[in-house]
Amino acid sequence: MRQILNIAFYEVLYIFRNRVLTLMVLVVPLFYAAVMGTAYVEGIFDSIPIGIVDLDHSQLSRELVDDFKNCPQFSVREGVENYRVLEREVREGRLKAGVVIPENFENDVINSRGTEVLVAYDASNLISAYNIRKNALQVINTLNARCAASYLAGKGMTEGEIKSTLDAVSYEYQVWYNPTLNYAVFIFPGIIMMVIHQIGMYSVALSVTREKNYNSWVQFVSSPVPSWKIYLGKSLPYFISNFFNYGLLLWFASEFINIKIKGSTYILVLLGFLYVATITSIGFFISVHSKNTLQVTRYMLLLSVPLFMISGFTWPKAYMSHWVSAAADAVPYTWMAEGIRLAAIKGLGLEYLRKTIKVLSLMAVVSVFLGAVFSKREKPKERIRFGFNGDSYFPKIEKV
Amino acid sequence: MLRKVFAVAAREFQLIWRDNALRRILFFVSILSLLLFFAVYNAQVLRGIPTAVLDLDGSPQSREMQQSIENCEDLKVVLYPTSYKELCSIIEKGEAVVGIVIPENFGRDVTAGKGSKILSVIDGSNLIYANNAVSAVLTVARTHSAELGVKTLISKGVHYSRAQYALMGITFRDEPWFNPTLNYAFFVVLAMALNIWQQCCTITSTYNIIGEMGAESWLQIKALGVSKFLFFFSKSLAHIAGFMLAVIPLYITAFGMYKVPLECSPAQLMLFTFVFAVSVHSLGTLISALCSDSVNAVRIGMVIALPSFILSGYTWPLEAMPVFVQKAAKFFPQTWFFQGFSLLVFKDPGWEALKPYILILVGMSCIFYLLSTAVVAVRS
Repeated sequence: MRQILNIAFYEVLYIFRNRVLTLMVLVVPLFYAAVMGTAYVEGIFDSIPIGIVDLDHSQLSRELVDDFKNCPQFSVREGVENYRVLEREVREGRLKAGVVIPENFENDVINSRGTEVLVAYDASNLISAYNIRKNALQVINTLNARCAASYLAGKGMTEGEIKSTLDAVSYEYQVWYNPTLNYAVFIFPGIIMMVIHQIGMYSVALSVTREKNYNSWVQFVSSPVPSWKIYLGKSLPYFISNFFNYGLLLWFASEFINIKIKGSTYILVLLGFLYVATITSIGFFISVHSKNTLQVTRYMLLLSVPLFMISGFTWPKAYMSHWVSAAADAVPYTWMAEGIRLAAIKGLGLEYLRKTIKVLSLMAVVSVFLGAVFSKREKPKERIRFGFNGDSYFPKIEKV
Repeated sequence: MLRKVFAVAAREFQLIWRDNALRRILFFVSILSLLLFFAVYNAQVLRGIPTAVLDLDGSPQSREMQQSIENCEDLKVVLYPTSYKELCSIIEKGEAVVGIVIPENFGRDVTAGKGSKILSVIDGSNLIYANNAVSAVLTVARTHSAELGVKTLISKGVHYSRAQYALMGITFRDEPWFNPTLNYAFFVVLAMALNIWQQCCTITSTYNIIGEMGAESWLQIKALGVSKFLFFFSKSLAHIAGFMLAVIPLYITAFGMYKVPLECSPAQLMLFTFVFAVSVHSLGTLISALCSDSVNAVRIGMVIALPSFILSGYTWPLEAMPVFVQKAAKFFPQTWFFQGFSLLVFKDPGWEALKPYILILVGMSCIFYLLSTAVVAVRS
C-alpha cells in the first residue's frame, strides 16, 4: 500500500509542478464544458428569421401573417415583396425560410375551393429545417381549424356540433424527458462525457510517456515494485481527478446549462466509477505502449469526433452500417453516453440500466487487467535511424 | 531564389512524409473519417421511426386509425402493447420512440359525435428522432381528424369536395430548399470530415516554427544564408500544398462517389478551401511561434481546433447562441469556413455573397502571419 501511495504522491507532485498538466487535469474539462455549454445554453432555436410573400393582401392573409408574427419561434422580416427576393434572401443566408400566400387565398378559403400555402425553408441545416417545418405546420393547422370553424358556423351549426366535427378525434402529444425539445438537453450530456473521456484518458496517457521522455521509466521497470502497483500508483491521482471532473461537469450542466439531472445518485456514482476506471486504465495502457508524449498527443486528440459520431448518441445506431454499430459497441463511450441519457436525463432505475452497467463493468475489469499486467522486461534493442518531428526535442535520434 | 524556395519546400515535404505519424494524420485520417461517417449515416434519411400502438378499443374505427398510423411513412409500428404500463415500459427501454394510445370507446364516441382523444407519447431525449416524430404525429392527426370531419359533413348533406376543402382548406406544402430529401448524410458527413481535416492541418502547422527553432539544427539553417522570411515562407508553401493534397480525395469521394450535391463550381470550392487552408495554417504558425515545445503547440492548437466546429454554427445555428458567443466565434477561421462552405455547397450564392468570407479569412491570415513574424523576430 505504501509503495502505491508513494508512486501516487510522486505523480501528484509532478501534476502540480507542470503548469500545463495542472491545467489539463483541473481546468480544461470545465473550460471545454463551459465553452460548448455556452453555445447550447439557449437550447431552443426561436426567432427564426423568415419572410412572408403575401400575394393576396386580404384580411385572411394578414391574419396568417399575424399568426406567424405571434409565433415565438419565428421572427418575420419585412420587405420580402416577391418570390424572387425571398429566394435570394434565403440563398444568401439572411432568411431561413419563407411563406408564400397565394393570390385569391381568402376567396378560395371562403368558397371552399381549397388553397395551398407554400413554406419553403433552408434545409442545408437540418436542425433549423425540422424546427421550421414543425412550427409552420402548427401555425397553419391552427388557422385551418379557425377557418373550418367559421365555415361550419356559417352553415348554422352550434358550437357543440362544430367542436364534434372538427375534434372528432383530438390529439394530445406529450414529449417525455425533454418537453421543450431543448437542444442542450439532447446534446450536452454526450459532450461532457466526451470531454471526460478525452481529457481524462489523455492526462493519464502522458504519465508513462513522460517518464520515457526523461528516461526515468527505466527506474520503475527495474524496481522490485510489481507492475500492478505501478499501475495503481500512477493511475490513482488521475482516477480521482477524472471522477471529480465527472461530478463537477454534471453539476455544471445542471446549474448553468439548465439540464435537469434526474435519477438515482447511486446509479450516477456507479456509472461514473465504472467509466472513469475504464478510461483511466485504457489511458495507462496506451501510455505504457506508446513511444512518446507527442505520439499520444497527436493521435488521441483526433479521436473525439469519430467516437462521438459512431456512438449513436445523435444518429441512431439502428440506421448505421452493421459493422460500424458493432465497432461502436466495443467503445466505452458508446455505453456511457447511453447510460448517462438513461440515468440522468430519463431518470430510469437499475432495471433499465442493467445491460449498460454489466457491459461497463466488464470493460472496467478488462481495462484494469490490461493496465495492471504490463511487462516489465526490457524490449530487445531496436534499429536506430534518424527520425523527424519525433518528439518535443525535434529532430533527434529515435528508435523505430 | 525560386530554387531556394523549392529546395526548402521539398525538404519540408520530405520531413512530413518521413514522419510516419504525421504522414498518416495529414493524408489518411480525414479520408478514413469520411468513409467511416458515410457508413454511420448509411440510411441517410430518418424514416420509419419505431412506434408502438396501444389499441384499447378494438373497434373498426380504431383499426382504421391504426391503419392511418401504419401508412405514415415516417412512422413504423413495431410493437402492439396491451396496456399503458407496457407502452410506458417500451418507451422507457427505448424499444419505440413514439407511443400512440387509442382510448376505450373510441369507435362509439366518434360515431356518436362526442369526440375522442388520442394520446401520443414521444421520447424527446434524442432530438433527431423527436422533431421528426412530432411532425409525423401532427400530420397523421390532422389528416385523420379531417377525414372524420369530412364524413360528418357528408352525412349532413354537404358535397364531398366542398366538405374536404371546408375542413382542409389550406394545404401546407413544405418545400425544403437546397437539400430536398432532408438527407442527413449530405448535411453532416463531409462537414465532419472537413472538421477532422482542419484538426489534422492544425496539428501539422503547429510544427512550422517550433519544429525548427526548438531544435539544434536551427543554427545550421541560419548559417546557410537563407533568410528567415524565405525559409518559413517556403516551409509554409509545402504545408499548404500538403493540406490541399489531403482535401482533394475528400472532395472526390464525397462529390464523385457518394454524390453529395455541389451547387458551386469545383474551382470555386477549391479556391475557398485554399483560402481557409492558408488561414488555418497561419493560426497554427502563430501558435507554433508562441510555444516552447511541439507537444504544447499541438495541445494549444487542438484546444482551439476541437470546439471550433461546434462554435462555427454549422450544426447548431450561430443565431441560436448567446450574442457574446456569436461574437467570439467570429474570431476563429473555422466559423467563416464552415459558414461559407455551407453556402457554396448547398446554395452557390455567387461571389458577392461569398466575398466577406474570403476577405475575412485573408485578413485573419495576414494578421496571424504578421504576429508570427514579430514573435520569431523577438525570439531569434
